Amino acid sequence: MNGGEKDAVPVIECREVTKVYRGGKTAVRALDRVSLRVSGGTIIGLIGPNGAGKTTFLSLIAGLIFPTGGTIRVCGHPARSLEARRSLGYIPESPAFLARYSARAMLEYHAALHGLSRAAIREETDRLLAQLRLEEYADRAVGGFSLGMRQRLALAIALLDRPRLLLLDEPSNGLDPLGVIELRQVLLEVQRTGATVIISSHRLGELERLTSDYVFLHQGRIVEFASELAAGQMGRLRIELLPGSPLVAEELLTSYRPLEMSEAGLVVGVGGVQDVPRVVSSLVQAGVQITGVALEAQDIEQTFVRLYQEGDGS
Amino acid sequence: MKAHALIIETFRRRQAILIIHLAWLGAYAPLFLIPFPPKAWQWGGFLFAWSGCLLPLALSAGIFGHDIASGRMRLLATEPVRLWEFYLYRLLGLSLQAAVHLLTAGTLILVLQRLTGRGNIDRFAVWLLASWLIFSAWAALSTSVSVVVSREHNSMLVVLATIAATFPLYMLLLFFEDSIGTKIYIVVLRYAGPPVELLVRLGRGRCSLPGGLGSIAHSLLLTAFYAAIGILLLNRREFTAIKD
Repeated sequence: MNGGEKDAVPVIECREVTKVYRGGKTAVRALDRVSLRVSGGTIIGLIGPNGAGKTTFLSLIAGLIFPTGGTIRVCGHPARSLEARRSLGYIPESPAFLARYSARAMLEYHAALHGLSRAAIREETDRLLAQLRLEEYADRAVGGFSLGMRQRLALAIALLDRPRLLLLDEPSNGLDPLGVIELRQVLLEVQRTGATVIISSHRLGELERLTSDYVFLHQGRIVEFASELAAGQMGRLRIELLPGSPLVAEELLTSYRPLEMSEAGLVVGVGGVQDVPRVVSSLVQAGVQITGVALEAQDIEQTFVRLYQEGDGS
Repeated sequence: MKAHALIIETFRRRQAILIIHLAWLGAYAPLFLIPFPPKAWQWGGFLFAWSGCLLPLALSAGIFGHDIASGRMRLLATEPVRLWEFYLYRLLGLSLQAAVHLLTAGTLILVLQRLTGRGNIDRFAVWLLASWLIFSAWAALSTSVSVVVSREHNSMLVVLATIAATFPLYMLLLFFEDSIGTKIYIVVLRYAGPPVELLVRLGRGRCSLPGGLGSIAHSLLLTAFYAAIGILLLNRREFTAIKD
């Protein structure tokens, strides 16, 4: 995912990226030496608490702000360069449009900014209006659009000219459940074309259905990254034991991360149900007496909250 | 298509722009009800002040500042358009609006003056050119200020800065007319500020042909200079989100 094995030129390459916002006498370090390499055709969930640096990170990749330190390259080109911008589509958290323009006129305007010919503009506009189910509202002024419709229009604009990288900042804001499902379908279609999608969202349950690759940002740093790590903590296996056994069990389960331990048992992080027989048999073979086993499957939201709390405590 | 879209956008970006044009043009007709004697009122000079100096401040209000404050620039700045193109085509859009506006206003004034005989239209074509030149200079200055000032405050800031720059001039002329400081201040205002004085002299025919051509060239260069500063600022501008 993040190794760039598939492509010689990674879609995103960030090296030691730092961003400090200065305002008067105060300085806020929004990102702190973040390095990341993303190859093509992946969907990555960017998650973290408010103020973690998610929007800053997306803004830096999109070239909207400058890094204080480090370098960012998009498809091999420096961020903010014309070539980098040609490769990406971006949806800000609260997309703003010219209120007097209709959805069609807005799309045609942005398509023109891509340098497309008149015929290509018409073709792209019709394709995206249909794909995002905006045909019905195509000739209405954008000023009267609901937040959900604005998000769909923003997504249509971001998809103009088939970008190789799509950056989405809270794209499901204001979308109804049907809109969320459609968004998911569109993003999976985009991924199938070989494009990379980075999606920042607070509605973590939605991300879980899109991807297993996450970037956890906390206080401007990447806390966890890579699907194996995230997946490795997707389940909590609660093992109940006879008194005195938990310590022995913990020593035996060195390849599993201990999460809780008490007199009556312990909880370890496992990848999923497939790990349960392995854990149980290794304990039984060592003579540990088990009185009960329960797998508490965690979704990404619970995992994130736990990682966040653990990170906060450390 | 890119240039066309950006030029048209300067006209369509706000409903108020059409209203401003109509209001400005509408202001000419009622003035013809006043029985100006031919020597007391010069329509060319009025056009210069009304449409050449005031109109650009109304049309360029928030031209970048509003986009930046509303977050629209966060969508625009990721499009494959060089930032200098954004600036240049927007300024060109304003300049073209001015050209159409001045030609319409000029035709209106010519017809009404011919019908009523009120005021004079001496050197009207030169005044039209001077009005377009001063419009472009003010528009470039205001557009550049708009890159660093949020919302529509750019026009207000230009007005306040103009007042702040001219008030000391009157004081200096009143109390220190012959001092070297006053002379330097006048030179700086004359050549670095929007060339109102030089173009008024051009309109009134109080300069030689080379002097007039020099004023035209100076005005165009100054517009380009203001634009270059705006482009530089735009390239160095960050388009941040309100939250993170």
